[in-house]
Amino acid sequence: MTRRFANLNFARQILPAIALLGLVIAVIFIASGLPDRQLEPPQQTPPRATGALANSARVAGAGVVEPSSEIVDVGTALSGLVMQLNVQPGAYVAKGDLLFTVDDRAVRARLAEAEAAIGEARAAIGEADAARITAQRQLALYRQVDDAEAVSRTEVVRAEGEAAAATSRLALARARLAAASAAAGSARTELARLAVRAPIAGEILAVNIRPGEYVQAGGPQGGNAEPYIRMGETRPLHVRIDIDEDQAADVALGANAIVSPRGAAERQVAARFVRAEPLVVPKRSLTNSAAERVDVRVMQIIYALPAGSDLFRVGQQVDAFIPAKAPSGARK
Amino acid sequence: MVWIAIRMLTGDATKFYGLLFGIAFSTLLITQQLTIFVNLIERGASGVYNVPSADVWVMDPVSRTTDVNLPMPSTALDRVRSVAGVEWAVPHLRAAASVRTKEGDLEGVSVIGVDDATLIGLPRRMASGAADVLERPDAVVIDDVGTTRFFPEGYDPVGERLELNDQRAVIMGVADAIPSFTSQVTLYTRYSRALNFVPGTRNRLSFVLVGAAPGVDAKALATRITQDTGLRARTRDEFARDGVDFIIENTGIPLNFGITVLLGFVVGVAIVGLTFSLFIRDNIKQFGALKAIGVNNAKIRRMVAAQAAMVGLIGYGLGVLGTVGFIWGFSSNPTFKGFYIPWQVPLISLVAVALILALTGWIALRRVLKTEPAAVFR
Amino acid sequence: MSAAADTATAIAAISTRGVARDFTAGQQTIRVLHGIDLDVRAGELTYLVGESGSGKTTLISIMCGILWPTEGEVRLFGTDIYRLSDSDLVDFRLRNVGFIFQQYNLIPAIDAASNAAVPLIAQGMDRLEARERAIELLAALNIAAQADKLPNQLSGGQQQRVAIARALVHQPRLIVCDEPTAALDARSGRRVMDLLREVALADDRSVIIVTHDNRIFDLADRILVLEDGRITHDGRDMPKDH
Repeated sequence: MTRRFANLNFARQILPAIALLGLVIAVIFIASGLPDRQLEPPQQTPPRATGALANSARVAGAGVVEPSSEIVDVGTALSGLVMQLNVQPGAYVAKGDLLFTVDDRAVRARLAEAEAAIGEARAAIGEADAARITAQRQLALYRQVDDAEAVSRTEVVRAEGEAAAATSRLALARARLAAASAAAGSARTELARLAVRAPIAGEILAVNIRPGEYVQAGGPQGGNAEPYIRMGETRPLHVRIDIDEDQAADVALGANAIVSPRGAAERQVAARFVRAEPLVVPKRSLTNSAAERVDVRVMQIIYALPAGSDLFRVGQQVDAFIPAKAPSGARK
Repeated sequence: MVWIAIRMLTGDATKFYGLLFGIAFSTLLITQQLTIFVNLIERGASGVYNVPSADVWVMDPVSRTTDVNLPMPSTALDRVRSVAGVEWAVPHLRAAASVRTKEGDLEGVSVIGVDDATLIGLPRRMASGAADVLERPDAVVIDDVGTTRFFPEGYDPVGERLELNDQRAVIMGVADAIPSFTSQVTLYTRYSRALNFVPGTRNRLSFVLVGAAPGVDAKALATRITQDTGLRARTRDEFARDGVDFIIENTGIPLNFGITVLLGFVVGVAIVGLTFSLFIRDNIKQFGALKAIGVNNAKIRRMVAAQAAMVGLIGYGLGVLGTVGFIWGFSSNPTFKGFYIPWQVPLISLVAVALILALTGWIALRRVLKTEPAAVFR
Repeated sequence: MSAAADTATAIAAISTRGVARDFTAGQQTIRVLHGIDLDVRAGELTYLVGESGSGKTTLISIMCGILWPTEGEVRLFGTDIYRLSDSDLVDFRLRNVGFIFQQYNLIPAIDAASNAAVPLIAQGMDRLEARERAIELLAALNIAAQADKLPNQLSGGQQQRVAIARALVHQPRLIVCDEPTAALDARSGRRVMDLLREVALADDRSVIIVTHDNRIFDLADRILVLEDGRITHDGRDMPKDH
């Protein structure tokens, strides 16, 4: 054995061994170096149609969660400073509940003024009435005296004038009372208008005013000003799903849709069909770009989300799958 | 007799090593050039292979490759989602943009917008940082080869700021990706961010990436998507092939490499053929004597075949080893990132070696077989 | 007829009948052998002598089965060898004929023992066993010490002994020897011839030696002289005019 080992020949033994070893190394290198092009499932679940829709005709759409009343942007009838804010976001209010009040000091001053004027008018009425009674009694007295010498003609005329003047003053004072009462009523109405109340029962979604801020009757002014208070009926919530107009004809209207929020695609709920909007609108793009141009129009379908789910919030984007109509024989 | 043949072969060291050199050189040239060729043109498909989870790519009918694409309206996503057999579909944006680096240089980059919610579209692995760094505001992930083009060697780019389309972008991670054919810097970001980074036209959705439902064949699904939506749908392999074909059609690479491979073959035939002929000529008397003694032609053929096999085995082994060494040696170079030896390439060079040896061995053998045993008495 | 022909053991090892051979050179056809009828007996050392061009190489090639005659038949130990198929003929040679070439034609890359073992290896014997057998024979030829040496490490005489061993190792019945003494001085030549007679010649084996070396003519059992393709002399001694 040792002799053979000593006779180890480079060309005949070592070289082929190197070559074979090289081939083994090459095989290992090549096998381990092959690129990993295996398909793998995504790490997070993307939105997918499940259940009966998984492998049947369907229409997919994206949409936004909204209150069933749609969003009400509450404004103010009168401009002024906000004095008092009665609600917080998330509060559930009944119809007519006070939301906030606008500065009413000026109106209240006007009311006080009007009420003073009413008092003054009432006093004037009393005074005029008294004067008229005095004048009429004096005039009656003069009329009872037959002796022409005893009462001069002049005296009689003066007494008649005084009585007429007193009657007029009374009418004037009555008119002033009416005017002052009207002013007071107007001030009271204005006072009521300065208190903003909930137009419907619903949830306060956003409050963008704070006491001391100025609200304007025409709504918020300026490019990106936000509505003062946003509210809506969130029991139940609706979703407004956009369907490409190309596919609008395929939708099975009336069927329930499978809806999942963005980012939680595995949590799907069945949403009940409410209505399809009769108007096809340009796609409202959610791309945030200011200079968005559109050439795609979408049909909007409203679905009601099941009650009691805390999964959805107003304004959230959702993905939806809606069953399609059974394909008609005409399409071949 | 095979033993004698091998002894005869190795007994003449000069010619033996000449033959080995010829085969090893041919193998090295063919294997190495084919490897580089395959890897280079497969760079055309890197965009497809970097997305590990999409079974089908859906695009505008005129789009050709990951880089040559026409964006679609955003509702295309919903139309694709409506197709039965589609497990999921997510938007994917690919566009070119210019980036201002900290030094103020302008660099062309390709921006890839991946699905906001699932991050489908990111490469399989991250070289640094986790994939979910993209959730952070203004976050982008740069590819590792791109890092070397933007920053000095060994520099950690995480935290660096870039300016893209007047928007701020912060590098939050480095993706482990195969570079594109042009080795352009690639920035990954979320789809919604990408829309801001890329100067926009009205349609922005470059691709819809589709996962097939379990049990649904990708090819059948692609056909159905095309039928239902009118969009072009390609399976992953088809689309990778499209990228490769695009490079083949639009560059001179196949011709150049083809010439080199052919040269390798010709050089192999020349060196091995000449040396083998010389070797046989030197040994023709011995072969004649063997024939006279009574070694039949079948045994002679076996002897020459054994010699050819020996030369082939060693030469081929050394040549392949050389290629492996080359690829291994350059594996850390960003230019060669992701280079691998496709298993078909060594087989092709093995066939080439076999052809070279068969051709030269046949010519040499013909001479031996034609030798009259009676010639030994002259 | 010589005395050896009368012995009972000396059967006709080789017999040729009407062997003729043509060679074509350009448009000319030259007949180099003209109907050779010849019987070579076993147990004899037979010389084939002739000038170069006399056809002795052609005749010996035909007699040992490596060159097809144009006409006639050759029987080796009763087998009509040119009626055998090509491969059977090759196999026949491998089992029945031993060759000693003028330039020995040893394989330079393998050692003496392996060279001597080549016919056995070609017959399919295991290489190491064949070597053992060859080494025994080399010992009989007194060069066992050189068994592990390559041919180019051996002297001319040693190489020839290896060549002889190769011709004998498979115990053929016919040994053909081409100019065995041409490259040797007179003494070595005689020693080789002695050796051949000693180890090669046997009752059932014939040895044919092609030579024109007149120094060893006296060692033959039978001398055949070939001139212009015809046998002109057949006897124990050379004719006087040579």
